[in-house]
Amino acid sequence: MTTSHRVHRARSTKLPFWNAVGRVWLAAAVLVAAGCDALEPPAFRTNQLQLEACEIAPAYQREISQTLTALFGTPDHPSVPAATDLDQALLNLAAGAPGSDLQGANYGLYRKHCAQCHGVTGDGRGPTARFQNPYPRDYRPGVFKFKSTHHSAQPTDDDLRRVLRQGVPGTAMPAFSLPATELAALVEYVKYLSIRGQLETALIRYVQDELGEEAPADQAGDATRVPLDPATHHAQHETVLQILAEDVMAGWRAAPQLIVLPAPAEVPAEDRAEILAAVAAGRELFYGTRANCARCHDPEDGSRPVERDYWNQAHQDFLDDLAALASSIEKRRLSPGGRDQAWQADLLRLSRGQTVAASLYPVRQVLPRDLSLGTYRGGHRRIDIFRRISAGIAGTPMPSCGPTSSGAPGALTETEIWQLVDYVLSLPAEKN
Amino acid sequence: MLALLGTCLTLPAAAAQWGTLTGRLVFAGTPPTPQPVQVHQDTPYCGQQQLVDETLVVGQEGSLANVFVYLYVQRGQSVEVHPDLAPPPTEPVVLENKGCRFQPHACLVRTGQTLEIRNADVGIGHNTNAQALLTNPKFNEQVSHATPILKTFKKSEPYPIELACNVHPWMKGYVLIRDNPYMAVSDATGHFKISKLPAGQHPFIFWHEASGNLRALPVGNTHTSRRGRARLTIPAGQTLDVGAIRVPASMVGGTP
Repeated sequence: MTTSHRVHRARSTKLPFWNAVGRVWLAAAVLVAAGCDALEPPAFRTNQLQLEACEIAPAYQREISQTLTALFGTPDHPSVPAATDLDQALLNLAAGAPGSDLQGANYGLYRKHCAQCHGVTGDGRGPTARFQNPYPRDYRPGVFKFKSTHHSAQPTDDDLRRVLRQGVPGTAMPAFSLPATELAALVEYVKYLSIRGQLETALIRYVQDELGEEAPADQAGDATRVPLDPATHHAQHETVLQILAEDVMAGWRAAPQLIVLPAPAEVPAEDRAEILAAVAAGRELFYGTRANCARCHDPEDGSRPVERDYWNQAHQDFLDDLAALASSIEKRRLSPGGRDQAWQADLLRLSRGQTVAASLYPVRQVLPRDLSLGTYRGGHRRIDIFRRISAGIAGTPMPSCGPTSSGAPGALTETEIWQLVDYVLSLPAEKN
Repeated sequence: MLALLGTCLTLPAAAAQWGTLTGRLVFAGTPPTPQPVQVHQDTPYCGQQQLVDETLVVGQEGSLANVFVYLYVQRGQSVEVHPDLAPPPTEPVVLENKGCRFQPHACLVRTGQTLEIRNADVGIGHNTNAQALLTNPKFNEQVSHATPILKTFKKSEPYPIELACNVHPWMKGYVLIRDNPYMAVSDATGHFKISKLPAGQHPFIFWHEASGNLRALPVGNTHTSRRGRARLTIPAGQTLDVGAIRVPASMVGGTP
């Protein structure tokens, strides 16, 4: 952010909602003036891949960052937009540098426990992330794998707390034994980073689809562009709050009503006499094409396609688009009159894209779980396995086999899903 | 007499506030040879289907299929919809997993209309994965032969959305979900038609799966912007035929 921009913003007439941004910049300006560059507080990283993929011009990139700072504050001083229902006191416990006071209360919990892997921004790119497989979760798309809710639904607070307390077996995510308040603070902060990341994506799309279109492509500079400036632009202010409430928060609010709850009468007891029959029926389903489990989970089947999860696929798509752009540039370079203005612009776009690509970690495959190991990332309770099969695993190739909302028909009945649960839980023993 | 003339002039205008947009997409380049896909899954069945890559489908005389053409509507605004088209159609849009491919390859769905996803391949398991949905809840569901998936959507999607089957990685389909009826996809002859549009000037998006928004595309007497939008004027009671729209090969990953 340039100084001139800061001055411009300070002069503008702001709607009351956006006043916080002035304070943040004032603090930053004081730090710079005092020569404290070396002690610059951690900042949230922008979503470079999306900004580049959506061809967001540098001026808009700055304005998106400023809009997010105005709403969500900084890693040291988080703020809470009213529309989010987030608890400021809990966020204060989780944010900032780690430390404790004389009474033994701990602060800076996120940077103490989480940021090494998940990054200050929650983009799953902390210092240790490169060396992990699977990579730590990037919270920004708001997609979470291990939860009690239907496929597309957000996790509940209890789901996030459970992942913290149990860890994710078979991955680098450890179990955290922390006081209830500290767990609550971390849950709140993960939601904060996720909501912030979702809004960032929504703003990028808003800028891409709604702003800047009127400027003719061949006009030099961006003199006629409509800036993203909700602080002074009332319609934009309304739109941003609407996006936050309707496109981002609605999903988080609805989560507690979208829990996958099998009918109590259908839940078979673990120690019943007929369990062997259920295991046999589950095995039938496992290898049949209706459930089609064996297609991915049969370790004997070597014909598995290369698959990527939602996060790695986004990286791969970005790389594929860059390759297509490079190929198109090369073809046009050789054709008569091919090196026109559009060609020059694409060349610049390719160069910027390659810089972003170089900063990405290698794209990794997503592997179907080896069920003979008895390690269940989302929990080993029967209800956990039931929910993995019924709702699928969001962000992965694992599809929902049960209803995707309460009352809807699913590919399998609850009885059949319980049979699969029995079979899956028998697999480690079958192997030995 | 003057009053009569006035009536004569106004009546047809009031009754003809609607018009049609039509045109034909043409691939300007060497027609691609359909590339067979490598089948490693369910080979006894899928391997018999003579499957080819469907990213670029060029037919007779350069006809370019699967180009989506649709009305751009700014966020927070809505378009006047012809009374005949106001309620979403009650019949579902049927998308079949058939012969180890999505049929049709590209389809159009209104908000409130049902998208019925079927598995016509007996003894073959398919899933339909719509991770790319931007405004509607993402889904990824197992499709059994017995029970089709029924989906309805509440919000417009800004662009066509890719559908995938994770069991058969070559399977790709595209669906455009809009809250208005003003959308089309070019057929095997390259033609598209959008009827009963409100007369006047509107931006239309031109989109193809190989490159997304088709930018700097010559359409009639104008060309698309960097967002793939062309401003076209729909004449009241008449049809605007923009004629052949020549899509440069390099724009959709083909050979000039």
